[in-house]
Amino acid sequence: MLRITSAVVIGLALACAFTLYTVSYDTRELDQLVQSKERRIERLRSDIAVLRAELAYLSRPERIEPLARAMGFEPAKGEQYVEPEKLAGGTSVQGDTPGDPRPATTTPSQQQPERR
Amino acid sequence: MLKAAIGPARHNLDPAPTYAIRSFAVALAMVVAFSAIGGQLVRLALKGQIVESRAAMTQPLTTSFWRPDILDRNGRLLATDVEAPTLYADPALIIDVDVVVEHLVQVFPEFDPVELRRSLSDRNRRYVRLKRGISPALAQRIHNFGLPGIAFRNEPKRVYPNGSLAGHVLGHVNIDNKGTSGIERYIDEAIGIEAAHAGAPGSLEPLRISLDIAVQHAVEDELRAAVQQFGAKGAAGVILDVNTGEVLAAASLPPVDPADRTQSLDPARLDKLADGVYELGSIFKTLTIAMALEAGTADLDKIYDVRAPLRVGRYIIRDPYPVGRPLSVREIFVRSSNVGAGMLALELGSERQRAYLERFGLIKPIRSEAGPIAAPKLPRRWGKAETITIAYGHGLAVAPLQFAATAAMLVNGGLFVAPTFRMSSPETARPVQRIVSPETSAAIRDLMRSNVVSPHGTGRRADVPGYEVGGKTGTAELPGRGGYIEDSVIASFIAAFPMSAPKYLVLVMLHEPKPTEATDGRITAGVNAAPVAGSIIARTGPLLGVLPN
Repeated sequence: MLRITSAVVIGLALACAFTLYTVSYDTRELDQLVQSKERRIERLRSDIAVLRAELAYLSRPERIEPLARAMGFEPAKGEQYVEPEKLAGGTSVQGDTPGDPRPATTTPSQQQPERR
Repeated sequence: MLKAAIGPARHNLDPAPTYAIRSFAVALAMVVAFSAIGGQLVRLALKGQIVESRAAMTQPLTTSFWRPDILDRNGRLLATDVEAPTLYADPALIIDVDVVVEHLVQVFPEFDPVELRRSLSDRNRRYVRLKRGISPALAQRIHNFGLPGIAFRNEPKRVYPNGSLAGHVLGHVNIDNKGTSGIERYIDEAIGIEAAHAGAPGSLEPLRISLDIAVQHAVEDELRAAVQQFGAKGAAGVILDVNTGEVLAAASLPPVDPADRTQSLDPARLDKLADGVYELGSIFKTLTIAMALEAGTADLDKIYDVRAPLRVGRYIIRDPYPVGRPLSVREIFVRSSNVGAGMLALELGSERQRAYLERFGLIKPIRSEAGPIAAPKLPRRWGKAETITIAYGHGLAVAPLQFAATAAMLVNGGLFVAPTFRMSSPETARPVQRIVSPETSAAIRDLMRSNVVSPHGTGRRADVPGYEVGGKTGTAELPGRGGYIEDSVIASFIAAFPMSAPKYLVLVMLHEPKPTEATDGRITAGVNAAPVAGSIIARTGPLLGVLPN
C-alpha cells in the first residue's frame, strides 16, 4: 500500500515537474515573442518619427516657395477672394472650407498624420 | 542455539510499531524532499524568467531626454526628436587599440589620436562615449570596420525640419536634449520631458504654439527682401492677434538656426523683438495722443501752435519737416510733429506720463513663454526734457514685442493683452482689464487709418486695397557716443488691420536702412518700413483668413 502511494506521489511529482517545465518553456517563448514585438514597435515608432521629420523637412516653406514660383504660382492676393454668398447663382466653392481662404495650390499640405 | 539466542531478543523488541514509524518517517522525508524540489522548480521556472527580462530592460542609464514635439497652430511640425546613434567604446573588449584609433581618426579627423589612445587604453572603464548624434550612414561605415569594443547606442536628437524658421522663438537644447532657451526651455520648465531610457519617440503629448508656419515664412521672406533692398543691417517683424495677444509670427534677422547653439552667441543675431531694447521713435506718438485723450487734456481737433521749436534747458526740439502753421492733434499725428507731441506731453506732465506708461505695460519687465523680454530702459531722471523726448519715442527704450502688445491694447477697444506663444483657449483667458476707454481706442484707430489714407500721411505706402490698413511710422536715430548718430536709424512701422475692427497688429523694424533710388535718397520709415508692412499685410492677410472688403 505504502509502496503504491509512494510510486503515485513520485509519479505525480514528476508529472508536475514536467508540466511546469513545459509551461515555463512556453512562457519564455511567449515572452521572447512579446519582446520582439515590443522592439519592432519601438523601431517602427522611431521610423515614424524620422518619416514625420522628413515630411516636414520636404514640405518646409523655404523649399516649396521657389518650386511653386518656378511653376508659375505666386502668393494669393486679397482680390482673389470672394465671399461665397456674393458668387452669382449661389454656386458652392469646392475644396475650400468656409472661412478658410487658403487655396490648396499655393500652400503646402497642412495635414500632419494623426498622433497616437 | 542461534534461534534460541535471537528469538527472545526479537520478541522483546516489539517489531510492529517500529516498522510503521520508520516507513512513515521515510515517506515524510520523501514528501518533504519532493516538495522542496517541486517548490524550487516553481521558483526557478517563474522567478528565473522575471530576473532575466528585468535585466534586459534596465540597460545602462543615459543622460539624454525625450522631448514633446512642437507644432504650429495648424499642427505642422516645428521641432521633433529622432533617434540618432551615439558611438561609444568598451575598452575592456578592445583587442588592438592602435587599429581602433587609426580607423576612428580616419572617419573623424577632429579626434585627437593621442587623447583617444589614452582613453581607450584604460581597461578599467567599460564605457567611453566618443561621439553623439552621428548620421546613420557614418554609423554603418564604422560598423563595417568590424572593430571589437566599438558599438552604438541610439539616443534622442532634436531636429528642426524648417531650418532657421522661427529660430529665435524655438530656442535651443543642449547636448543632453534639455531646453536651454526659448520655447524649448519653457517645455522643460512647464510641460516636462522624459528620460531617454524610460520613454520612446512620440510618447509625449506635443505642444502646439501660436505661430503659423505659413505666416512666419511670409514675414521672414518679406523682411529678407527688405534687408536686401534697403541694405539694412537687420530687421524684425511681429504679427499679434490684437484680442488674445497670440503671436502669429515673430521674426528677427539675421536669423538663428535652433540646431546650432553657437549662433545665439553672435551679438548681430540677437533677437531684436524680445532681447533688445530700442528707442522706437515716432510710433510712440500713438501713446502720447492716447494719454492726452484719456486724461481729457486734448481732443483730436484741439489746435497747437507748433511753429516755434521747443526749448528745454540746452535742448532745442524741432520738427524735421515743419508745416509752418498751427496743427490740430489729428495733424500732429499724421504729419508726425515732434513739437506737437512734446506740447501734448508737457500739458500732461511727467508724472501722469509715467503713470500712463505704467498702465500701458511699458515700465515693468514682462515675459513670454519664449523667455523674459528685455527690461525697458527708463531715463535716470524723468524731467521736462525727458517728458518731451519720450513723447516722440526717444529717451525710453523698450523691446519691440512689449511695445507691440501695448499698441494692440490701444486698437482692440482698450483691453489688456500680453504677448503669448501659447494657443489661446477658454482656460488661458484672463479677466478683462480695461486700459483705455473704447472712445480713446476708436480715436486711435481713426488716426492710424487717416495716417495711411490722407495725402499728407506718413504711412501712405503701407496701404493695401481692401484691408483697411492703419499705422504710424517711426524713424529713430541710433544712440552713439555722446549723442545720436545721424543717418543711422531704426525705421519702424506699427500697423493694424482691418481698421474698422482690428484683428491683427503688425510691427516692422528695419535696422540702419540705406537710402536708395526708390526712396529718393531718404531713410525715413515712410519710404522703407511702411511699404514692407504693406507687403507683409498683403501677403499674410489671406493666410490669416482676413477677407478684403
